[in-house]
Amino acid sequence: MAALALVLALGAAAAWVLSAPRPISPAALPQHTPDLANGELLYHAAGCLSCHKPSAELSGVDANLPAGGAPLKTPVGTFYPKNLTPDRETGIGAWTDADFVNAVQRGISRSGEHLIPALPYTSYAHMKVEDVLDIRAYLASLPAVISPDRAAELPASLLMRRGIGLWKWVGLDTSPWTPDPTQTASWNRGAYLVNGPGHCAECHTPRTALMALDTSRAFAGGPHPEGTGKVPSLRGLIERGRYTDAKDIASALQYGEMMGYEKISSGGMGQVQRNISQLPEADIQAIGEYLASLTP
Amino acid sequence: MQMTIKTVMGVFAAGALALGLASAAMAASSPAEAIQARQACMKANGKMMKAMVPVIKGQAAYDKAAIDAAIASAEAACAGWGEWWGEDTKPGGAVETEALEAVWTDKAGFEAAGAAYVKAMGGVKASADEASFKAAFPDLGKSCQICHEKFRKAED
Repeated sequence: MAALALVLALGAAAAWVLSAPRPISPAALPQHTPDLANGELLYHAAGCLSCHKPSAELSGVDANLPAGGAPLKTPVGTFYPKNLTPDRETGIGAWTDADFVNAVQRGISRSGEHLIPALPYTSYAHMKVEDVLDIRAYLASLPAVISPDRAAELPASLLMRRGIGLWKWVGLDTSPWTPDPTQTASWNRGAYLVNGPGHCAECHTPRTALMALDTSRAFAGGPHPEGTGKVPSLRGLIERGRYTDAKDIASALQYGEMMGYEKISSGGMGQVQRNISQLPEADIQAIGEYLASLTP
Repeated sequence: MQMTIKTVMGVFAAGALALGLASAAMAASSPAEAIQARQACMKANGKMMKAMVPVIKGQAAYDKAAIDAAIASAEAACAGWGEWWGEDTKPGGAVETEALEAVWTDKAGFEAAGAAYVKAMGGVKASADEASFKAAFPDLGKSCQICHEKFRKAED
C-alpha cells in the first residue's frame, strides 16, 4: 500500500512538473517598432473580433470594438473572452508585450494559468512574433472600454487547466511557420495567413484521439468546434468541382453571398468571411492560391 | 347521376376556377405548402443570381433580356411572400424549415430586410445598361446576405 501511495505521489509530482507553463521570457522578445497598419490587417485576418466582440450587456459600445464578454459556448465549457481594449483595469492596457505574446502564442494567461485552446493559440503560435506585437499595438490604439472579466464556466477548472499543460506537449507546436522556397511569394503569403492568423486548421483540420491537430491530414475537414456537425474539407476544392480556380475561391472569401457563393456567409464561416473580406485583395488572392493548391 | 360530358366539363371547370382563385389569392393552405413556396422563391432568386454574377465578374456578356427574364421569374415565384410566414411555419414545427425564430421575434427587422431587397431589386430593374446594372447590383447581393445572416439557419 505504501509503495502504491509513493508511486501515485511521484506520478502526481511528475504530472505537476510536466504540466507547468513554459512562457516566453520578455528578454526573448525582439526589439520592434510596431506597424499599426500591419497590426490592423492581421487583427482582421486573426478574427479577434468574432470571439472578443462586446457582450450584449454593454450598452452603447461600438460593436466593432473587441470589448469582450460575449459568451462563447464550447463542448468543454462557456468562456467569456477578454476585453482587448486598452482599459487598464478591465482590458489589456496594463499588460506587457510578453503577457500578450504568451497569451496569444503559448496559451498562458497573465496570472500564469494555461488557457483552454478555445483561444486558437495553437495556430497563432506559428506567427512571427513581430506580427503579434503589431496586433498588440493596434489593439492599444483602440478606445478603452470598461468591460470586466467574467470567469469561464469550466468544470474542474484547476484540473482541466493543468491538464492542458500536459496536452500542450502533443497539442502545441511552437515551431514558427517557414516559407517554401519552391513556391511563389503570394502562395507563401497565403500559406502564412491560413496557417497563422487565419487559424483555419482549428476548424478545418481533423483531430487526433488526444484532440491535437492531425497535421498529416491538414485541412481535410474536422469536427465543428461548437460540438455538433462537421466542418468541410478544404482539400481538392477545384478537383472536386466546388470552385473553378484560385480566383473563384478568393472571390468567395471576398464577397461571400453578395456574389452568390453558398455555404460561406452564415454562422461561423460567415464571421470568417466577413473578417477576410477586410483584407487587401492581394492577400485574399494569396489565400485563394494557397487553398487551391491543397490536393485532395 | 349519369356522367355526361357536360357534367364532367362542369366539374372540371369548377375545379379549375377554384384552383385559379386559390392561386390568384396565393393563399398557401398548409405549412408544408407555405414552406415549399418560400423555398421555391429562394431557389428562383438563386437562379437569378447565377444569371447576374457572371456578368458582374466579366465572365459573361451583359444581356438585358436574359437578366430581365431571370428577375421576372424570381418575382413570380415570390409573389405570395407575405402569406407564407404563418405561426404554423416556424422552426421546430411539423415541417422542417431553415428559417430562424428571429423571423417572428424580430418582425420589424425581417420586414426591413425584405424592404432592402425590394429596393435593391428596383434599382437593378431600373438599370438600362451594363454600367448602371453593375452599379446597382452590389446592393442586391448585400440584401441577400443581410437577411440570411439574421434570419436563416447557419449552414454549418
